[in-house]
Amino acid sequence: MSATVVGQSSAKPSEPKNYLNADHTLKSWLLSVDHKRIGVMYLIAVTFFFFIGSIAAAMIRYELTSPKGILLSSEVYNKTFSAHGILMVFQFLVVVVPAVLGNFLIPIMIGARDMAYPRLNLLSLYMFITGGFLILASFVLGGVDAGWTFYVPLSTISETQISLCLVGIFITGFSSIFTAVNFIGTIHKMRAPGMTWYRLPLFIWSHYATAIVVILGTPVVAITLFLVVVERGFGFGIFSPELGGDPVLFQHLFWFYSHPAVYIMILPAFGIISEIISCFSRRPIFGYRFVAYSSLSIAFLGFLVWGHHMFLSSQSVLQGIIFSLISFILAVPSAVKVFNWTLTMVKGSVHFSTPMLYALGFMGLFVIGGLTGLYLASVDTDVHLTGTYFIVAHFHYVMVGGTILAYLGGIHFWWPKMFGRTYSEFWGRLSAMIIFIGFNLTFFPQFMVGYLGMPRRYHYYYFAPEWQFYHLLSTAGSTVLGFGFLLPALYLTYSLFKGKKAGPNPWNAKGLEWEYTSSPPITENFTQPILVTDSVYDYNPAEDSKMYEVDEEATVEDMNK
Amino acid sequence: MAADHGHHEYTAGGAHAHHILPQKTIFTIFGFLLAGMVLTIWAAFYLPIPNLLENTFFMQSLALGIAVFKAYLVVTYFMGVKMGTRLVKIFAIGGFVWFFVLFVMMADYVSRPMEPVVGWEKVPSSALPRDTVKNPE
Amino acid sequence: MSHSHTKETDGPEVYFQYEDIEQQQETYLVGMWSFLVTEVMFFGALFLIYTLYRWKFHDDFYLVHEQLNWKMGGLNTLILLTSSFTVALAVHFAQKGNTKLQMRCLFATILCAFGFLAVKTFEYGAKIDHHLLPNHHFQYGHVEGEEEHHVESKWDKMLPSVLQVEKKEQHGNPQRARLFFSIYFTMTGLHGLHVIIGIICFTALMILIKIKSSLITDYVPTEMVGLYWHFVDLVWIFLYPLYYLIPK
Ligand code: HEM
Ligand SMILES: [Cu+2]
Repeated sequence: MSATVVGQSSAKPSEPKNYLNADHTLKSWLLSVDHKRIGVMYLIAVTFFFFIGSIAAAMIRYELTSPKGILLSSEVYNKTFSAHGILMVFQFLVVVVPAVLGNFLIPIMIGARDMAYPRLNLLSLYMFITGGFLILASFVLGGVDAGWTFYVPLSTISETQISLCLVGIFITGFSSIFTAVNFIGTIHKMRAPGMTWYRLPLFIWSHYATAIVVILGTPVVAITLFLVVVERGFGFGIFSPELGGDPVLFQHLFWFYSHPAVYIMILPAFGIISEIISCFSRRPIFGYRFVAYSSLSIAFLGFLVWGHHMFLSSQSVLQGIIFSLISFILAVPSAVKVFNWTLTMVKGSVHFSTPMLYALGFMGLFVIGGLTGLYLASVDTDVHLTGTYFIVAHFHYVMVGGTILAYLGGIHFWWPKMFGRTYSEFWGRLSAMIIFIGFNLTFFPQFMVGYLGMPRRYHYYYFAPEWQFYHLLSTAGSTVLGFGFLLPALYLTYSLFKGKKAGPNPWNAKGLEWEYTSSPPITENFTQPILVTDSVYDYNPAEDSKMYEVDEEATVEDMNK
Repeated sequence: MAADHGHHEYTAGGAHAHHILPQKTIFTIFGFLLAGMVLTIWAAFYLPIPNLLENTFFMQSLALGIAVFKAYLVVTYFMGVKMGTRLVKIFAIGGFVWFFVLFVMMADYVSRPMEPVVGWEKVPSSALPRDTVKNPE
Repeated sequence: MSHSHTKETDGPEVYFQYEDIEQQQETYLVGMWSFLVTEVMFFGALFLIYTLYRWKFHDDFYLVHEQLNWKMGGLNTLILLTSSFTVALAVHFAQKGNTKLQMRCLFATILCAFGFLAVKTFEYGAKIDHHLLPNHHFQYGHVEGEEEHHVESKWDKMLPSVLQVEKKEQHGNPQRARLFFSIYFTMTGLHGLHVIIGIICFTALMILIKIKSSLITDYVPTEMVGLYWHFVDLVWIFLYPLYYLIPK
């Protein structure tokens, strides 16, 4: 990127002080308004929730290895998959990329000193943690058995801790609204001079689109879940059919948010992939404006397809057909992105470094997930597939294969920037491959067993013991997958202490965060005010030299160990 | 829109003089709001045309029409959208427009019969003990 | 490093993340507006629910709404409109730098807000005494085998006679009545909660101005709380005709 530093030119190279060692007290962390520190605290928090959610997942997979069930009663099983879904969706997937990488990178990428509202940012963090602990408390105090979708009337008659859990989700919801407000204010008003909209990194565009979805969608689910609490707590009956209310209305309102919510999860991931692909292909992103606009059109169109989750509720056929059509249209902008990434690699000089491996894994899995989404979006096939493991496989392909792989790719890409250390490239590539293999082994059999009819949310299938084969494959795969997730946790933590010091731009990448800040960045990011004069993506495959040497050497070294 | 963070002049309060809503306007708008309220109530009870008073659609449209007008006044003047930047206008308008997307849900309800169906009362569907619902249809 | 190149001697203080006061003020307003968009959608879902049921059960809703006291609702409309007016004035004076009048207007607004809550207390109190809060005690209309229930409410009696309305019999389907009151209490309750939050914000604002806190650098905090308050008013502008003045 071409940008110049304005102001006095007595720029010292880069100070040894950075945001990490600026101050060491615990208080300076917990009360920090520095967007980078907040991002790091989010990193710790989401990892914690992910860990707990994974334990629930492991229990589910273990239970399903036998057609008759092994360990858990039906009741406990319900609570287990609910805990898994709730933690993973609300406490992990929805927040993970924006809260960790978004918080850390957005101000740096646009040349600002901090978020627009740093104190609000800190408040979001604490609301997120409070919400998370309320949710955990509800699990400890008796569990929640209505699944992450909380359909009424089950959620209103269930005698488990649903109210407490919903209050937690409500608080987490407002935390993400505040983060979104922060992003909108920041991206609109804090860009450095010369950082016009079409010079913004695509990471910023997709976070902007995400923030729009959050402020338009999250309040709707917040109020809907609130109504369930009111119905449980006071006996108000807004969704109760005995008063003339309509339970399907709950589903409408829930999916009005929760379909867009899947884009809240995937749009930031798209942003990461755009950055990684163009860096490791050494080419500017192909069709920048198409990619940018596709984010926005996904954000808005995403609000018009919620009914595809309700084909088998009592939703009218007319509405079903309309929603089915719009869902098909909505697949187009996602496909645009995938084609653009692919075309970016054409004639590029592709490096298979760790982040790139994750990004490629993302592309493969997301395509499978997206295409199977089309089967589900057409009414007649959905009648057969809904409520089966096919759906489970579909959304794990897009959420785990999509969001989590992109997130891990992003973490590996910006790790040297965040902590100033490089990790072992050998272990990085290995983990990417293990995760890819483990993931497919876990979820591909679920497509098949789902197609055969295995219902989701059941913990036995004694009526069809032949399905055990698929479930065993899946459980074996999930073990591999779990191991794959454990690896980065280990070697990244190790690198914090023992990793080689990273220079400001170890990937030779473009962008303000690489070219104008040190690794790790200083507290207010830049030593000098920034003036941007050209597009971000001025990569040139022909000029590509340094990078190969750097990472090839590193790998060879690791292998010799 | 991006690069214009240059320095401009500002008054001691930090505001451009033209950002300030004049007192006279505030009083006028307040007058309109009160008038709108009185009109709503008067129409609801004393509209001298009995035909219209019986016409649900007309009466509802009238009441909502006045409410929308009042809301328009509050948003444009009191909330300063009229003097605001283009961005503020976009957000203000966008919010109210997007609200109507929720009403796509009504397409479902106009194209199918809705519960209650006879027999629904007997299905437990709330946390309450059954006998709270007396007098089932 | 940040402050050095941005500090102006004559203007209000600029926070470290901004370049100048102009940027700071606009950024705050944009943030507040995007939050208000959220609030619109928050109440929007409730308005949708209302629309659906009102459309389905118009006749019952008409009969049930006669239990509400339109005079009290009207009084509250008056109070809220007035408070919006005083807030607009407060922002006006804040922009002019006239702190004294600004504080008076803010104080008047808080009084209005308390007035609103007082009126609501009378309304809710009477409804609860009449067993119209849709919880376990809910009872509506004539129940077979029981005397017609004529529960008196002290809240009604305490009202001056201009504010009392003629008692209407409880007509209409009791289940629909219960649905009506569920939505009524949810929407007005959440609105009331917003009023309480507003009071907290205004009080905090006044205290901060009084102690000349460094958080209040210019008129923008007043304007932001003002925006929020206008939104609260806006919701009521629609709630009033939709609940208290349902046409036949
Ligand atoms: C290419 C676009 C996509 C299409 C056409 C699509 C279509 C669908 C359809 C029709 C269903 C409902 C199936 C049923 O319940 O019968 C569904 C479920 C689901 N999808 Fe997608 N999808 C797409 C992309 C995504 C993405 C990107 C994500 C998340 C990142 C996602 C997450 C989910 C989830 C979580 C569910 C299951 C919800 C539940 O019932 O618990 N989908 N998808
Ligand atoms: Cu969907």
